[in-house]
Amino acid sequence: MSSDMKHHIKVYRNVFFALLVLTGFTVGASYVEFGGIVWLAVGVGLAIAFVKGYLVAANFMHLNNEKSFIYLTLGITMICFIILFFMPTIWHSDGLRSPSSIPMQNGEIYEKPSDVDHHSHEGHH
Amino acid sequence: MKIPYNEELRPDTGLYNAKLGIWLFLASEVMLFGGLFSAYIMLRLSDPNWANYGQSALNVPLATLNTVVLITSSVTMVMSWVALKLNDIKKYSMYMGLTLLCSFGFLVIKYIEYSSKFEHGLYPSTNNFLAVYFTITGLHGLHIVGGILVNGYFFGPGKKMWDTEPERFTNRIEIAGLYWHFVDLVWIFLFPALYLL
Repeated sequence: MSSDMKHHIKVYRNVFFALLVLTGFTVGASYVEFGGIVWLAVGVGLAIAFVKGYLVAANFMHLNNEKSFIYLTLGITMICFIILFFMPTIWHSDGLRSPSSIPMQNGEIYEKPSDVDHHSHEGHH
Repeated sequence: MKIPYNEELRPDTGLYNAKLGIWLFLASEVMLFGGLFSAYIMLRLSDPNWANYGQSALNVPLATLNTVVLITSSVTMVMSWVALKLNDIKKYSMYMGLTLLCSFGFLVIKYIEYSSKFEHGLYPSTNNFLAVYFTITGLHGLHIVGGILVNGYFFGPGKKMWDTEPERFTNRIEIAGLYWHFVDLVWIFLFPALYLL
């Protein structure tokens, strides 16, 4: 067996164990309260997912040692992906805040009550 | 006539053609799943009723088991490629067989999850969260089925190519592997996004 392939097998085994441990972390982290800070909980969950994703892409998909043409292709993809991902946010001038009315399952229209308060509150300032 | 650049590398890209092909396909897949993830975030942040949609009722232990099954299948997939690089077709068959077994295992677990939702009267039309859940996991499940078809072919009749064009066959397994790892990668993000956060 070539030493190159021996090295590959060792790396794949280590990545496998790392992925299993990180899956445990992902599940474990979902039970931590993080002081009620939602963004921190989401951030930690996604950070672990990104590490796992990196391990898969870099090792199993060989992106840690690939031709520049593929990096170029993926670079363009990532630019398009980021535009696509944040386009809805850009479209909505009020960011990701709730719309004032939403059609509901039972046919009624949900009116956002805080919207009225919000505007009148702003008016006092 | 032989199709060029199946085995030898194209001088301008430094790749054999199928490898560039699969990466371009995966780039389109990034956009496909990216759009759905974007829709998920948009719906979740703008729907005031989201907390009442029963996201916490999803079966986390089963989904965790599915994550482990899919990660295992990714490792056996890459090991089947290693086996071919080492000229060991028997080991290739073993690892590819294990990959297929894990793939079917994933689908069976998904079937159990879906059945339990349907039994409780929870459908894609029930609410925004379930619409997102069934759409994204359903599309991901279809990708698993696609992978099973391709890998099943290479496990069965497609394996004949090893006798005549071993290097080309090895490249085919590398390409099938890249697709399979991508499907695994999507699940790595789906699992926390849908089940845990």
